[in-house]
Parts: sequence; C-alpha cells; structure tokens
Amino acid sequence: MLEQAIYPLYITLKIATLSTILVVLIGLLISYLLARRDFTGKNLVDILVTLPLVLPPTVTGYLLVILLGKNGVLGQYIFEITGFGILFTWQAAVIAAFVVSLPLMVKTTSAAIGSVDRELEYVAYTLGHSELETALFVTLPLAKKGIIAGLVLSFARAVGEFGATLMVAGNIPGKTNTMSLSIYTAFQSGNDSLANILVVILVIMSLVSMAATAKLVNRWKV
Amino acid sequence: MTGNIQVDIKKRYSGQKQAPDFNLDVNFTASNELVVLFGRSGSGKTTTLRCIAGLGKPDRGFIDVNGKVYFDSGSKKNLSPQDRRPGYVFQNYALFPHMSVAKNITYGLKGKSDAAKEQRLHEMLELLHITGLQDQYPSRLSGGQKQRVALARALAPNPDILLLDEPFSALDMVVRMRLRERIHSIQETLDIPVLFITHNPVEAFTLADKVVVLHEGSVQQEGRPEDVFYNPCNRHVAEIVGVSNIFDADFAGKSENGFVLDTDSISITTTTNVDAAGSYSWGVRPENVHLHPAREDICGCNVFSTNVRSVVNRGASRVVAVDIPDGRSVLLSEMDNRTFGKLDIGPGSECLVEIDPRDVLVFVREEPAD
Repeated sequence: MLEQAIYPLYITLKIATLSTILVVLIGLLISYLLARRDFTGKNLVDILVTLPLVLPPTVTGYLLVILLGKNGVLGQYIFEITGFGILFTWQAAVIAAFVVSLPLMVKTTSAAIGSVDRELEYVAYTLGHSELETALFVTLPLAKKGIIAGLVLSFARAVGEFGATLMVAGNIPGKTNTMSLSIYTAFQSGNDSLANILVVILVIMSLVSMAATAKLVNRWKV
Repeated sequence: MTGNIQVDIKKRYSGQKQAPDFNLDVNFTASNELVVLFGRSGSGKTTTLRCIAGLGKPDRGFIDVNGKVYFDSGSKKNLSPQDRRPGYVFQNYALFPHMSVAKNITYGLKGKSDAAKEQRLHEMLELLHITGLQDQYPSRLSGGQKQRVALARALAPNPDILLLDEPFSALDMVVRMRLRERIHSIQETLDIPVLFITHNPVEAFTLADKVVVLHEGSVQQEGRPEDVFYNPCNRHVAEIVGVSNIFDADFAGKSENGFVLDTDSISITTTTNVDAAGSYSWGVRPENVHLHPAREDICGCNVFSTNVRSVVNRGASRVVAVDIPDGRSVLLSEMDNRTFGKLDIGPGSECLVEIDPRDVLVFVREEPAD
C-alpha cells in the first residue's frame, strides 16, 4: 500500500519544486517591475498574471490546453520544432502549477517590494550601486518576509493543484498522478486506506513546512 | 569653474491627483561653502536637491559641480546618480536596516580592498565621534547617532558635494545644536560645497555661509544670511524669515525722516526710498516693534498709542499683539521677559508703540501667500 503512495509523493514534490523555482525567478522579476517601474502594458501584465487567481482552475487548464496542445497557439510551434507534445506530461503539470501559483507569489512579493522605503534604494544609487545590485542587496533582502510568504504559498498551491493539472496533464499512473489527483482516484475507487495515507502525508508536509517557515521568519529582525 | 557649483534648472509638474501645477525654476551658484536652501515645505527644496543628485531629471537646464557637468539639456547630458556619487543624507536618515553600522558606512566603497574599507571606516567613525558603534544595527541607535552614521556613510566615498535634506528635523534641540557645529567644521575640513535644506529660520541663519530662499519653485533671494534676514527683497522672503508684521499701505509723501506710507489710521515713516507711483507693503520684525507704557512721553515718528489685544508667553520671550488704531489688523511685538515685566501691561491696557524708521522694510505689493 505504501509503495503506491511513493510515486505520487515523488512526482508531486518534483512538480511543485520545479514550479516554485520558476515562480520565484520569474515572479521576483515581474514583482520588481510592477512595484518599481512604469511601463506601457503594466496593467495588462498585472491582469494577466492575476487572472488564474480568480479563474476556476479548470478554466485555466482549458486555456492552457488551447495554448499548449499540438494544434494549440503555442503548442504547434513547440511540436514542429522539437517534436514534443507537451500535454499529458509531468512538464505540463509543472506549467499548470506555475500558472496558478504565480499570482500568489507576485501579489505578496510586489506588495513587499512596494513597501521597501525608496530612499534606501536612492541612497544605494548615490553610493554607486547599480539598480540590479541595489535590487539584489537592498530591496529584495528587505522584502524577504514577503518573498518567503509568497514562496510558501506558491509551493502549497502547487502541491494542492488539481483542476488545471487534470486538464493539461491528465491523471496518468506512473506519469502524472500527483498526490491530489491520487487522493481523488483512491477515494473514487474505494481505496480508502491509500487515500488516508496520502492525506496524512500531505497534512504532515504542510504542517512541517509552515512551522519551519514561521521559525525562519521569526528569527529575522528586519 | 573649479570649486564651484552652478545650478540652473527648470522642471514642470502638471497637476495630477488634485495637486496644482508646479513649476520649478531654480538658478543659483555657490563656491565651496555651506549653502542653505531655505523655504517652506513644498517650495521645491527637495526637488532641487534630488535633481542635483540625479534622482530627478529637470526638463531643461544645467548642473555643474566642481567643473563636472552633471546635467546639460543642451547637449543631452544626464549623469546617473551612480556617476555623480553625491553624499546624500535623507531626512529620515535612510540607513540600511539589514546592515550593521560598519556595513552601512562602507557600502559606498565599492571595489576598495577590505583593508582600505576598514581604514576609511575608522576615519569616518572618528570624524563623527561614533567609534564603538560599528557593530550595532540601525534599530539600536538614537536619532543623533543615526544622523552621524548617515553622514559618515555619505562622506566615506569622498563625494564632490554633500547634500543634506532637513537632516536635523527629527532631532531634539541639544543634539541639533551640536550637530550643526559639526556640519560646519566638516564643511571647512573637507572644503566641498554643502547644500543644506531647512525650513527652520534659526538653522538657516546660524549655519549658512549663503542662503538661497525658495518660494513656490523659484529662487527669491540669495546672499549672506544677514542680507537675507535683515533685508528681505520681497514679501515672500520676509514672511519666511520671520517678518510677521506685513501690511499693505498707500504712498503718502515725503518727510524729513524719509518716506511716509499710510495703513489704516497710522502713518509709517521709512528710510527706504519709495516711489509715489508704486503700490507697497511695509513690514517690521516683531523684535523691532518697541512698546512703552502709555504715560511715557516719547516723541518722534512712528510713535502711536494703542491697546494690547493679547500676550503670548513663549517661554524665553513674550509676544504682545497690539491693535493698529481704527484697523482690524494687529501688530506683533516680541521682547524678553524682563522688558515685558517692566512694562506692566496686559490684555486691554493702553501702551505706546515705537518703530525705528530704519527698521521699516518696504516691499512692492503682492498678493499674500495663501
């Protein structure tokens, strides 16, 4: 029974970790630009990034299928060039998790960056530091609580992702059967003991990560 | 133009979100001296400082510091703040809260060796008398200590110019006075131009080698503090430097003591030359309005009898408001407590007012500031 839980745990952590890495890298960039720069299309970027937060995940998933399918807006080019059909792979699940958790990262992080005193950045400029150096060594360190909050939320969202993942990656045993999906399948097929094991693992994981984050953040003075 | 700063900038802000249009048009020069940019809040002082630091971009103009062109709209030159590297001290100190005092002070010494940083750190700690604080974090420092660390950080990279934005506004009076002296000696030691923003007349007067008075975005007067404070060139400057008695008047003629201006029922004689064609305001500093007991016999011009309306105890001095006869305005007179005690007056009592014609300032009449 336990071995049936191993693969879902593995694939879930793999998808959620990769998605969170992407969310942090891309999310930090978008958050900084939204908080600190004025550019045309800023509102549009904001809306596009936030949209998956308000859309039902199945709708987000459906839009991703339209975008990434072999005949999709983007997918057809990817297929032409690489011969790789991205739908129904674990990579598609990473993309789904990324899209739905990005707004959580961007909302918390851009708010945190926005609340960093601009004069600290101005001082750094007058002391000869470039905007990038200043962002890396002044702004982001001072926004780290918000960044960590965004990271934790994004990771949790990626672990719990169900609807969009089901749409773009299916629920293929040994390929894309994440924990959330496996719990549903086990429950549907009456395999309550597997569902119980998966639920316990998920709850413990969530509690530990929450506690660890709280402990880390509490140690920081600023 | 070595050893000089030259600023001539224009910047227009169109009214956004209920803010009215604001036009900055600032033009002044200075040598290696302590220049105070003086004016009310909203007069454009901070904007000017930011433009000099490269944190704001003027629409047009020219900024030159020690022969280095920072900004020139003619040749489209605009150095980044990183290339200007001014020493800039913000009003709220803006110390990096996540860095120790030592890290804060050496943050501008990019590319220097650790030994050089260490040496410069100790020079700065000594210069500002904050040795021993290097391992503290800003949250543990007092206001005065934060101020010194901010100054040390600004001075560590040997800037060509030091810009100070109301650096003492959050400090108590004793610390303020000590730091004022320090700023002055630092300016003399480093021999660089120091631009200092304040809206505090005492600070402007005691610190400045030169005062530049700003009002609504433009320079009203520049000169030595005595010139600006005792001979304000217009009503705006007069109001800012503490000439709290300003009245509109009509030209009434010439007398043996000077020129006569009429306000309500009183005639005021001034030694300032006045032209019959113009319309004027006259003003007098409250400390130059002298009161005498009503029974005293004084003759001379600018003497009239009136009633005391109110008395305000300012701690170190008293401010007595007296009515201008037959008018609705009041005239303020400031005096030390001892003089006030000898006068034996209070609200409602009669007294004599005397103003020396030499103390009467005359301005071309303008609409008063709102």
